[in-house]
Amino acid sequence: MAYFLRRLAFFVLTLWAAVTLNFLLPRLQPGDPARSILSRLGQNRSITPEQVKAIRLMLGIPNENLLLQYWHYLGSLAHGNFGLSYSNFPAPVSHLILQKLPWTLVLVGVTQIIAFVVGTVLGAFAAWRRNSRFDSVVSLTSTFIGTLPFFWIALLLLYVFSFVLGWLPNTGGYGGPPIQPGLNTLFLESAIYHSVLPAVAILITAPIGWIMGMRNTMVQTLGEDYIRLAWAKGLRSRRIALRYGARNAILPSVTGFAIALGAILGGQLLIEQIFNYPGLGNLMFQALSDRDYPLIQALFLFNTVCVLLANLLADVLYGVLDPRVRRGGSS
Amino acid sequence: MVRRRFSLAVVAVIAVVLAVLTACNPDKKAAEQVSTDGMVANLNGGSFFGGSDGQRNFNPFSGAPLVWWFTFEPLFVVNSYSCGETPWLGTKYAWSGDKEFTVDIRQGVNWSDGKPFSAADVVYTFNMLKRLPQYDQSGVWSTLASVSAEGANRVVFRLSKPSTETFTRAARVPIVPEHIWSKVKDLAKFTNPGAVGTGPFTVKAFNGEQLLMARNSKYWQADKIKVKQLTFSKPSTGDAEALRLANGEYDWKQDFLVNIEKTFVSKDKQHNKYWFPPGGAIDLYMNLTKAPFNDVGFRKAMSYSIDRKLISTKAISGYAKPASQTGLILPNQKDWLAPQYQDGAVLPFDPVKAKKLFTAAGYKYNSSGQLLGKNGKPMSFSFKVQAGYLDWISASQVIKANLKQVGINLDVRTSDAGEVENDRALGFYDMEFGAPAIGCSMFENYDNPLGSERSAPVGKQAPTNFIRWKDKHTDELLTQLSTERDPAAQKKLVAGLQQIMVEQVPYITLWYGPIWWEYRTAHAVGWPSAQDPYAGPGDWLLIFTRLRSAQG
Repeated sequence: MAYFLRRLAFFVLTLWAAVTLNFLLPRLQPGDPARSILSRLGQNRSITPEQVKAIRLMLGIPNENLLLQYWHYLGSLAHGNFGLSYSNFPAPVSHLILQKLPWTLVLVGVTQIIAFVVGTVLGAFAAWRRNSRFDSVVSLTSTFIGTLPFFWIALLLLYVFSFVLGWLPNTGGYGGPPIQPGLNTLFLESAIYHSVLPAVAILITAPIGWIMGMRNTMVQTLGEDYIRLAWAKGLRSRRIALRYGARNAILPSVTGFAIALGAILGGQLLIEQIFNYPGLGNLMFQALSDRDYPLIQALFLFNTVCVLLANLLADVLYGVLDPRVRRGGSS
Repeated sequence: MVRRRFSLAVVAVIAVVLAVLTACNPDKKAAEQVSTDGMVANLNGGSFFGGSDGQRNFNPFSGAPLVWWFTFEPLFVVNSYSCGETPWLGTKYAWSGDKEFTVDIRQGVNWSDGKPFSAADVVYTFNMLKRLPQYDQSGVWSTLASVSAEGANRVVFRLSKPSTETFTRAARVPIVPEHIWSKVKDLAKFTNPGAVGTGPFTVKAFNGEQLLMARNSKYWQADKIKVKQLTFSKPSTGDAEALRLANGEYDWKQDFLVNIEKTFVSKDKQHNKYWFPPGGAIDLYMNLTKAPFNDVGFRKAMSYSIDRKLISTKAISGYAKPASQTGLILPNQKDWLAPQYQDGAVLPFDPVKAKKLFTAAGYKYNSSGQLLGKNGKPMSFSFKVQAGYLDWISASQVIKANLKQVGINLDVRTSDAGEVENDRALGFYDMEFGAPAIGCSMFENYDNPLGSERSAPVGKQAPTNFIRWKDKHTDELLTQLSTERDPAAQKKLVAGLQQIMVEQVPYITLWYGPIWWEYRTAHAVGWPSAQDPYAGPGDWLLIFTRLRSAQG
């Protein structure tokens, strides 16, 4: 019990630190949000002081001191109020995030789960058939793809399948009107059609980490004494591979996966940028370049809380799965 | 063999899936149709703007509206290239005295919901800007005292102080319908979803990814609008965007492209065109509160020490033209040139002359060719450049090399754009680039960088006079210019300001920042171009009343 309480206390402390950092960091960034909003609006680099004044008035950019701002910030967080977005004024921040969340959740969530499953299976199989032709193909290919820049692969896919062959769309999450977001076939068809390229791009690169991780731990596990014992007992090789080898080797990967799932909610920034996909990563990138403080803060906070929760979950799971961890503190 | 068959099967499955996807492309259901009535069926204009995440917002005064410039119209369209005024919702204007002018309102204009447009709408719009200063982005109320209707078709503008600029500012304000806006409770957060305007296009559909606008058949000059539909999509940036443009997906665009002849024009020589007219100049600002920049002789010599031609060909990809030291944008504003500067006063790079001028101004060279300050130390200045402004950074490298030739060391450093600009406003710099807002108002063009009321002591944010130029004669000329309405007299005053620019060199002009403008003639023709510069890129109302189908 003490172990779980300690984890919880640690969680609360990190949460507070995250919230405070989240408040401070955007304010330490140089630059004036009003100016950067205007330079986005105008095609001209030059901005008149009247425009800056008008925008400042509109956004109500705070002139009060930092402590007071912090106090108000904590207060509105408690009420779940993240304020109005600067760059999409007057849209509320929470509305923007909720709008983008399903896109990232579906695209990145689904592809990451597929990547995890495929990667782990391939990795386990490669370790089991160590030094076979299958192993060398899988290991070499994943090392090779792993060295290529991710955005380059995405751009290449975009170029070939969209610009040269014209098979798949090159931008957005769905097509133009009359398609309207919602539960209708026209929209769902279009959304799936638009998600093919980004999904493929993720699926090419995402399994690599899992493949390599799983292969390495599995190779180690297969050298353990209890595996030798299993062989000596005359167990069937499939049983040894799955129940004895893979089951133990997968533990670190599961923890990694819990944390990765938390981070997913931050969106795949590069992928969403390249395909102009309406997800959280894209929103985050735009918010940063616009110095849209309320939006940046809400997104960071959302992201941090997700990762922290995933960590807490992984900690608790570990405690449940592995008695040594639970007792580690007290002995 | 088994393995090979397996991979063949995978390839086959992928091919089938792709073929099915392509065959029943769900987006195609909304695809373009060919028009047979001599009109352009659809034009794609790229970004629909509206901030980072386009929400349905058609309030032209709010922070991040979607494309609204086809929906709302001003009283007069001010041509951003030639600076001429075209009567639009206003038909004519007249000054009576220094502090009052009237505008006659066009009759027979209807809002897109069928209600008639009148002087009351104009009065309402202006008074709303007074109530909501955050919407008054042109600062029109800084010199206005009142706006009222005189009968149904005339609006009287009374000024709080003489200022000819007020007309230009007022002319541009988009006019909104009183019968809709006056019923809104919280105007500060109004998103105007209905988008009722007087303009040539109305909002047809918006779904977060695309915005469709349809030709307004009841438009007051509908006979001039030959485009049936406009398509805009969610803004995006980066390499993919350049590919889309080269691929012919957009009919017009305003982007910087690397090596445009190769990346854009060569993809479709017949239709892909561009025109980069000169915009406001990028200048070399020197902090005039410091020595030796406070010395006219030094500044004059400096102005011959920079190779503007090399900057524009090398650093700006050859898209830009060297700027005139008069402060005017040439050739657009050549009518304003003073008689003595008819050649344009674009200063050449002449290190020999520069060295002579430095020596004549009392500066000496040491044995290793370094220019010495009056304190006897070799001259070395810091030059802060905005990080990420690639063209500016490479221009600064050219300047560094140029100044080395006349014995001055330049310490070029890049840092965050916001920080660099903040330092410039506060006066914490030796040299920086400056790009004052330059438009159609000669008063503002010279007042912004040079007016002493636009300056501030070092350590305080100066509004626009970052070099901190303080000169009685300049201020006198500017004060007169702000109230002068006679074109001949205006020209004389502007000539006086040009003389100050050339003879006293408050700052050194370098090159004209090009205005990016790419267009395709596959669907529509009649775009503004170097051959036919009837409007500047961005003068949408002027452009769309000229466009016609490429087929006929």
